[in-house]
Amino acid sequence: MNFWLAVFRQAGRNLRQTWMSQLMTFLTVSLSVLIFAFFYLVYTNTIGASDKLSEEIRLIVYLNEEPGPEMQQQLIRKINNFDDTEEIRFVSKQEAYDRFAAQLGDDSDVLDGMPKDFLPASIEVVPLQTLRGFSEIKLFSEYLAKLPGSEKVQYGQEWMERFYYFTQLLTIVVLLSASLLILTATFMVSYTIRLTIMGRQDELELLKLVGATNSYIRTPFLLEGILQGLMGSLIGLSALYALFRWITLHFTDPGLLNMFHFNFLQPVIIAAIILTSIGLCTLGSFTSIQKFLKV
Amino acid sequence: MVEMIKVSRNYGTDIKALTDISLTIDTGEMFFLIGRSGAGKTTLLKLICNMETPSNGLIEVAGYNINNLKGKKLAHLRQKIGVAYQDFKLLNNRTVAENIAIAMEVSYKKPLAIRQTVRDLLLQLQLTDKHNTITEELSRGEQQRVALARAVANSPRLILVDEPTGNLDANTTERVMNLLSRRNKAGATIVIATHDPSIYQKGNHRVMELRDGTIHSLTRSKAS
Repeated sequence: MNFWLAVFRQAGRNLRQTWMSQLMTFLTVSLSVLIFAFFYLVYTNTIGASDKLSEEIRLIVYLNEEPGPEMQQQLIRKINNFDDTEEIRFVSKQEAYDRFAAQLGDDSDVLDGMPKDFLPASIEVVPLQTLRGFSEIKLFSEYLAKLPGSEKVQYGQEWMERFYYFTQLLTIVVLLSASLLILTATFMVSYTIRLTIMGRQDELELLKLVGATNSYIRTPFLLEGILQGLMGSLIGLSALYALFRWITLHFTDPGLLNMFHFNFLQPVIIAAIILTSIGLCTLGSFTSIQKFLKV
Repeated sequence: MVEMIKVSRNYGTDIKALTDISLTIDTGEMFFLIGRSGAGKTTLLKLICNMETPSNGLIEVAGYNINNLKGKKLAHLRQKIGVAYQDFKLLNNRTVAENIAIAMEVSYKKPLAIRQTVRDLLLQLQLTDKHNTITEELSRGEQQRVALARAVANSPRLILVDEPTGNLDANTTERVMNLLSRRNKAGATIVIATHDPSIYQKGNHRVMELRDGTIHSLTRSKAS
């Protein structure tokens, strides 16, 4: 019998003898992975949606009077002084009226009798892709509001602000769930291994007396940790995938979710979660071995 | 095989289990330790297998100062020492076969060889029908034989046996002693701690009597 076969047999025995506590730990690790991976999935998809929406961002600066060609050039220079832009477009009062009338379609007759210059002239500014953070857009809008002739700046501020705070909240939740994963994986596994060691003191003592090496005694416990991490993360991620499939199947009708591409976790992230879970469980196992298994 | 020079073992400041024991046990010898309960026989065996450390003195086993050995070296030496403990130290929730196999598993013996050795030993000790019995369900005499089988299973060079016949009838005692004699003839050094004169008076062996932790006598038994 070689070393690894002996060690696997020993690990199998450990699992059989303490299957109840092993099962509890395994379920706890699975649940922790599921909670973390779920919030991370929501987070990545929200960030994805946010990126997609930010491509549509444009700031509209309403002017109190229509600028002449000279003034337009001055305003363009002023705007570009803050940062380069993707596009700056002047919309005259007439153009604004025509757009509005086109938007009203068949109901455009409600505009009959209205003067053609009742809508204000404006500048539509599309910022660069690099300037898409909420705080940067806010600063830019404050700058635009101070331009000569500027009356008001609109860019869906309220919506953006809510979305920004939502993503901030999600970041906190993801960090908290990551902490939960770290705590449960490390401490639960550590605790279970500790229980196993305590419950098998006689056997471990005997193994030492009949000449078992340190690695023969310790490796099965490390294997248990690795197995807990591997199985816990696989089950947790599988449950999340099942949930993801259920959501995508039931919410694919035209609606809010269909506006975005709702993606599952990237393979590299899945691998990272599995490896991290294995690493944490092994760490938990290792600390218990160091502390309670003196050989 | 075993060299002890002025070995003492104290428990606390008051209890002197062994005092100034100097002793040489040759390779291939069958050596008997006798004495009343509490004389220090079990302590002496525990010192030889490094289950306990001496308060003073030097103990060498197979040329190694056993108290200086650590890690793999100690483990490998222990694999060459088979011990049948007075309290058996059996795993009560395991079967007889598993208990015997454990000594061979730590030496990475092949499963087939382990199964074969277990069967042979159970046959020699009249325990064949107990192969899959949980040791907890055995009588003390049977447990004693399982402990002995485990001690000899790995073909150790040194076998330490503490009261091997205490719970056995005459017929089983003879079987046990035959097994130990065969191992001794095969080259193993055997140290037996016993109360039972019938087992050490039969051969031509050295017999050491301990009294209150000191060597009272060291004689050679005469074959009858």
